Amino acid sequence: MEQDAQLVQQCLQGDGSAWEELVRQHSRRVFNICYRFTGNRTEAEDLSQDVFLRIYKTLGSYRSAYGGFATWMTSVTRNLLIDHYRRTKRDRITDSLDDAMPVVENKQSSARRPDEQALLGELSSQVQSALTKLSPELREAVVLRDLQQLDYSEIQTVLSVPEGTVKSRINRGRIELARILQQMGVRPS
Amino acid sequence: MTWTCEQTELQLIDYFDGLLQPAEQRAFDLHVNGCDRCTPLVASVSHAVASMHALPELETPPRLVYNILDATLGPRETATGWAAFLASVRSLASRRLAYGAFSLAATYLMIVTASGMNWKKPKLADLAPAAVARNTNRQAHLVYARGTKYVSDLRVVYEIQSRLRQDTDLPTNNESTMPETTPQKEPGRTDGTAPASPRQQNRARVPGDVLTAPGNRKVSGDVLTAAAHGNNASSCLLVLAEELPVLSGKLFFVLAEGRTR
Repeated sequence: MEQDAQLVQQCLQGDGSAWEELVRQHSRRVFNICYRFTGNRTEAEDLSQDVFLRIYKTLGSYRSAYGGFATWMTSVTRNLLIDHYRRTKRDRITDSLDDAMPVVENKQSSARRPDEQALLGELSSQVQSALTKLSPELREAVVLRDLQQLDYSEIQTVLSVPEGTVKSRINRGRIELARILQQMGVRPS
Repeated sequence: MTWTCEQTELQLIDYFDGLLQPAEQRAFDLHVNGCDRCTPLVASVSHAVASMHALPELETPPRLVYNILDATLGPRETATGWAAFLASVRSLASRRLAYGAFSLAATYLMIVTASGMNWKKPKLADLAPAAVARNTNRQAHLVYARGTKYVSDLRVVYEIQSRLRQDTDLPTNNESTMPETTPQKEPGRTDGTAPASPRQQNRARVPGDVLTAPGNRKVSGDVLTAAAHGNNASSCLLVLAEELPVLSGKLFFVLAEGRTR
């Protein structure tokens, strides 16, 4: 945490290598959050790039009193993901209508890149698919808790909601996810 | 404590975090074990949480970091002209590439040599398939003939060497353990009987005979006689070396070895 704060100070003094170090240390985490939230690799890459652009521009507003740099960065990522979700809502409604048509659905599933197919195991892809069917507020809570392993206070900071709301969203998100997985035919052995 | 299905749903998060009080935990377990609705609920949520924990963390795409750095710090300076050329040459200077190039050159040299092509003065005609086949055939026969001759020469050298050792060992052995040899005993002959083998017979003649060399030159038997009587095998070998020019190097080596002893 202190190392991150030092790197941020060096960045603010114009040290390019410090910024590069920050990007290398945190890009994987940001990319994973974006991917689990969107379920699309290309979108996740673009969003990760946007996240770091925003961080670079607003680095001066970061205060270590706010929490760790990682928590602040996660908060920026979450805000950008929600913005992106709202921006693309109309597209997704069209997509969901298309998904109802079996031919188009097959075409979409076959259009997935082979490396993505290999990357995700069968169960992983089913869980990822179920995650994207959750509402964004439940999805972000579940992703931050069960995939990013953040504690409740960190999630509370990132989502800017009380801890009780955080726990409630996580709980409802898990129950909803289990229901979706059952509908997909994924049952506990 | 009474427990309801709604409580089970609400307290699931605390159940997974292990934060239920002992009394709550007992009531929870009691209810879930006897409830047809809650048993599968707890099992399915537990499975969903375990599945999420098992999701692998993805690797960052390789170009992502560079794209971010380009977008924030600006594109990196790219070398042009000679600098770019030197940079590309430097990038080639890897041990693996050097080994590959060396292997390729060695293979090429072996093929060129085996095909009989004069690589010091290469000609376009040498690359014609017929010429390559002819030269390769010729080279193969040449190599075979040289090999055969080399093996044959080595056999002669070793035979002479063993005879030289016999000659040097005999005087010391005569005085101690070995029985006296008859005056008629000559190199190549056994104890007054027939020669050991036709080859031995050909190698060492009796005094007065004429040694016929491969070049059809006749060597006087007196030299050999003098050498044998004087127990000077070296001079005998000198004569043989003169007759077998190919072997001269090896013979002189044998002589030198004999003298140092």
